[in-house]
Amino acid sequence: MSIVRRAVLALGLPVVLVAAWWFATEGSQSFFWPPLRDILGTFAETWWPDRIMGDVVPSLLRLLVGFAIAFVLGVGLGVAIGKSRALRAYLEPVLEFFRAIPPPVLVPILILFFGIFNTMKVVVIVTGCIWPILLNTVEGVRSLDEVLIDTSKIYRLSRRARLWYNILPGASPQIFAGARQALSVGIILMVISEMFAASNGIGFTIIQFQRTFAIPQMFSGIIVLGLLGVALALVFRLVETRILRWYLGLRAAQRGE
Amino acid sequence: MTSTPTSSAPNAADPQRDGTAEPILDVRGLRKIYGSGDGAVEAIRDLTFTIAPGELTCIVGPSGAGKTTLLKCIAGLLDVTDGEIRLEGDLVTGPPKGMAIVFQEYGRSLFPWMTVWQNVELPLKEKKVPAAERKRLVTEALEAVGLADVHGAHPWQLSGGMQQRVAIARAVAYEPHILIMDEPFAAVDAQTRAELEDLVRELWHRLGVTVLFVTHDIEESVYLGQRVLVLSNRPTVIMEDVRIDLPDERDQLSTRSTKRFAELRAHVYELIQQAKGGRRPETTARTDEAGRRDEAV
Repeated sequence: MSIVRRAVLALGLPVVLVAAWWFATEGSQSFFWPPLRDILGTFAETWWPDRIMGDVVPSLLRLLVGFAIAFVLGVGLGVAIGKSRALRAYLEPVLEFFRAIPPPVLVPILILFFGIFNTMKVVVIVTGCIWPILLNTVEGVRSLDEVLIDTSKIYRLSRRARLWYNILPGASPQIFAGARQALSVGIILMVISEMFAASNGIGFTIIQFQRTFAIPQMFSGIIVLGLLGVALALVFRLVETRILRWYLGLRAAQRGE
Repeated sequence: MTSTPTSSAPNAADPQRDGTAEPILDVRGLRKIYGSGDGAVEAIRDLTFTIAPGELTCIVGPSGAGKTTLLKCIAGLLDVTDGEIRLEGDLVTGPPKGMAIVFQEYGRSLFPWMTVWQNVELPLKEKKVPAAERKRLVTEALEAVGLADVHGAHPWQLSGGMQQRVAIARAVAYEPHILIMDEPFAAVDAQTRAELEDLVRELWHRLGVTVLFVTHDIEESVYLGQRVLVLSNRPTVIMEDVRIDLPDERDQLSTRSTKRFAELRAHVYELIQQAKGGRRPETTARTDEAGRRDEAV
């Protein structure tokens, strides 16, 4: 019963929106605003199977590699900065500076250093994704519970054990909050990086369709992007609820009291 | 070493009973000042006392008496300004071996991302206790605190009293030589508190561990301890070292209703009231005005 309810709640609005789009464009003669029927009609032949393998998969791989690098770097640096007041004071102005630069404007510079192929695109994604992860990790590490830290010291946990059993789990709710932001930033940058000097990828394909006036195909590309975002968010949620099960339980217990 | 009177004037403490045994904990002329310059706060002025192996000592004092500061110094979590602390003969400079602490904030001293079992086991893993031995120790410790059936639960699924039991089990499994308890039952309800007090007495009897129990509850200190160290208000010195000559077998009902219990309770209560009123023991009263001025120069 509750599963049905949840499904109705989750799918209700999308169904309404699709229906609205469908009927609003039903008899549309406008070249730039084709009927949804046409868009969906070209969907399968446009994407399956060549563009899935040739564009969607490469895009996804670059996104995942970039996100993974940003995650490791962000958490690693974040822990170091969060733990050391001196390092924080030293790095903060520089971090603020770099954080304020929108990664897309770096693309031309990054092309100089990294060429126009995968490396550059991954680096663009990393430069955008790293900030939310880094800053949230710093916050998470700074706000670790003092009593727990004292406990770790009293029981003489090694540095590694403290990192693994105290610092990282303690900061994990914030780390995940940062990673969630980073993921949406990453999708945007994935597309943007493919708009410059690319030969494949979802972003590249959409731009190609646009330039060749293949309007229904272009719309189908936008739909692919949206679906991809939904799928990634779902996967992220699954991982998050698994790893943060303790946190969700703890919060529920605190609310119950 | 700028403060001269510390070594020459041991407080009224130090009775003959631990004259022969080598003390497990030896605090000498402990002084702790937070900060420096004008903003300096003298939390502890001069504390000297020893704890004999196997003793159950309670420390009481008015709130803000620097009890927590004292504990943090003993635990090696804070540097001392002056004086020294020796545990089993070794100078304490960081968290020492053979010491376990049960904190007041049970909800914040257990790792919420671990199960009860993992919480108790973690310090043993770090101590490189072999797996089979570890299993035995954790099982026994959880049994000893009456939590044999919640291994797989997370701390936040348990009541406050049960969480504190887990923290006690973790300390017990660690097999410390000295167990420090920092107002461990201040945040649990009265009935649970009585149960946990008896649990502490029982574990202390069974394990022969030295226990240093800090509390602000006068009755609790008299009920639990063999000895009660009463602290003055800040900057802290020892008001009196009260020997608790109640029989070793204690019972929440009968012990608490004895005449002697009432007397001791009244005595400690009076001391605390005096401490709150700013009275300080004779030996250190002299240094009160002079000492502070000398330090400033």
